[in-house]
Amino acid sequence: MWLRVPLRSLLRNRRRTALSIAIIALGTAISLFVLGFFADSTRSIQETTVQEFGTLQIAAKRFWDDTAEGYEYLLSQQDLAQVEAILDREDAVVSRSPQLSFSGLVASGNSTKVVRATALVPGNKTLDVNDLVVEGRGLEPTDAAAVLVGRSFAEQLQIRPGDVITLTVTTVDGAFNASPLEISGVYQFTSSQVESQQIYLPLQFGQLLLNTDGVDSLVVMLDDLDSTQPARARIQGGLDLSPSGLEVKTWDELSPFYEQLTGFFNALFGVVTLAVSVLVFFIILQVLTMSFLERTREVGTIRALGTKRGEVFRLFFAESFWLALLGSGTGIAFGVVLGLAFNAVGIEWQPPGTVEPVVLGIRMTVQTAWLPFVVSVVATLLSAIFPAVQAARLQVAEALRVT
Amino acid sequence: MEESGTFCYQRGTVSVETKDLTKVYRVGTQEVRALQSVNFESEQGDFVVINGPSGSGKTTFLNLIAAIDRPTSGEVFIEEQATSRLSEGQLAKLRKETIGLIFQTFNLIPVLSAFENVEYPLLLQRIPRVQRRQRVAALLDEVGLADLGRRRPAELSGGQRQRVAVARALVAQPKIVLADEPTANLDTETGKRVMTLMRRLNKEHCVVFIVVTHDPVVTEYARRTVNIRDGRLEDGGSNVAAGSTA
Repeated sequence: MWLRVPLRSLLRNRRRTALSIAIIALGTAISLFVLGFFADSTRSIQETTVQEFGTLQIAAKRFWDDTAEGYEYLLSQQDLAQVEAILDREDAVVSRSPQLSFSGLVASGNSTKVVRATALVPGNKTLDVNDLVVEGRGLEPTDAAAVLVGRSFAEQLQIRPGDVITLTVTTVDGAFNASPLEISGVYQFTSSQVESQQIYLPLQFGQLLLNTDGVDSLVVMLDDLDSTQPARARIQGGLDLSPSGLEVKTWDELSPFYEQLTGFFNALFGVVTLAVSVLVFFIILQVLTMSFLERTREVGTIRALGTKRGEVFRLFFAESFWLALLGSGTGIAFGVVLGLAFNAVGIEWQPPGTVEPVVLGIRMTVQTAWLPFVVSVVATLLSAIFPAVQAARLQVAEALRVT
Repeated sequence: MEESGTFCYQRGTVSVETKDLTKVYRVGTQEVRALQSVNFESEQGDFVVINGPSGSGKTTFLNLIAAIDRPTSGEVFIEEQATSRLSEGQLAKLRKETIGLIFQTFNLIPVLSAFENVEYPLLLQRIPRVQRRQRVAALLDEVGLADLGRRRPAELSGGQRQRVAVARALVAQPKIVLADEPTANLDTETGKRVMTLMRRLNKEHCVVFIVVTHDPVVTEYARRTVNIRDGRLEDGGSNVAAGSTA
């Protein structure tokens, strides 16, 4: 009874049912499209963030909160050995690499520029900047006084691979040190800000420049982003067993931009979904009220036959449930087709602060589909409550008098 | 037309009783007395026709007995149970289990087939599927519609629809069947067939039939006729020649 009667009732006025399904489907498809777009953008940003920072970074607490004097935060070889031992026990760790970051002044000809230098282990795949090289070559294990510069940086200083720049830094002892560096290659990154400020050089040479054998952090790459929090908890647990003062940060904590953007996306999706749901709610409310009112006499009949009020409510609610399922299901199918078409066209857009346009995409997974589906089903069911209650509360004799 | 000429009437076992039944409708500032202190009694297996012109209060009377409306004052007893003391849920149960209804305009559910329409009261009673199907098939056979069970109401003639409605009224094996102008939307010949069927079923199932009508032909099928005018009952006598006691 709960399947047959409601489903057949939906077929009674096919045009109206088709219109209702179309409205619910359109609302669902819009929500899916918006969420799919945000999910795709978020995924791209996740990948870029991990590419830039690694999945985890381990450093001294004073490094993270920027309270250290000079280079007090540097990790000694003994600290590194302790962290390495903990990481050896962690299955999710794919690779790790120590790094040393510092500020410096680059001079080339008459031009000078303040830069952020990161000294890393050439050939280590953890943060393989060599993959980003678009001109010249990457850093190699045999390199000493070599440097990778960003494309924007190279354009600003009008330098190219093979040219020599001078990097001036402050050593850990507070003295000035300077050295010529040969540009081995030029890299390209999604952010022009990174390209114009960030240079990479071999770790050993960076340590030589700063007159230290320490590093500021250890970058860790995990096998899967989903492993981030569990691995962080286990590693932090291992670090806390000894008074090392070291702290693990995750990729999203290292990029405040990521959290701001996902927060913005979530808020925007909430607003769009709410607006669509309210629209679906009121249109379906109107349609169902009309549909149920037309069946007043029928309600009177089934009540006269002994159908209880609750059963009348359930019958009408079941009808709305099937309508919601059909509408939301159609909406998901429509949204997927729309998304596939959008992805096939490959529309490009250049976000502010980036050097290359990105291809916009709609990410369609079970995770992006279930929320619009559930929201549409709930909006439709909510819209059915009032007319279903009205139908259930009809006075039998009065309902039978309606022609 | 088959004419059995007998009823399943059993004197002394009261199925339906009303005491001082009054129904007043308020239309604006006016009060309309649809029923005034009606006292009525019907015994098991009775076949009563309540005859009266339009606006005489016969449908109001039927609605009160059917427990789909509440009286302004007075009481209805169904199987010695006062309906005014029952909750909405208990009234629904009473209608489901004790009363069968036949409407002037058939009131079949348009999205269900003839078979499913007859099956509906049994679904409400949660009768097991096999038993349900057997009872529906038997009743459809009894009303001569065994071959038309799959048809929707829109695919049936008026007489066929009313026979489906009769089968639906009887399928849950009620003790009382109430029919409101069952022949009003039928031609004379079809109306006679439906009335003959109802009387046969009255005899075979020993169910009380209370039929309200303004069709003089219907009164020919009654064991007892009661006239109603201006909301008051007047005994119209019995068709003693046509009826007999069991």
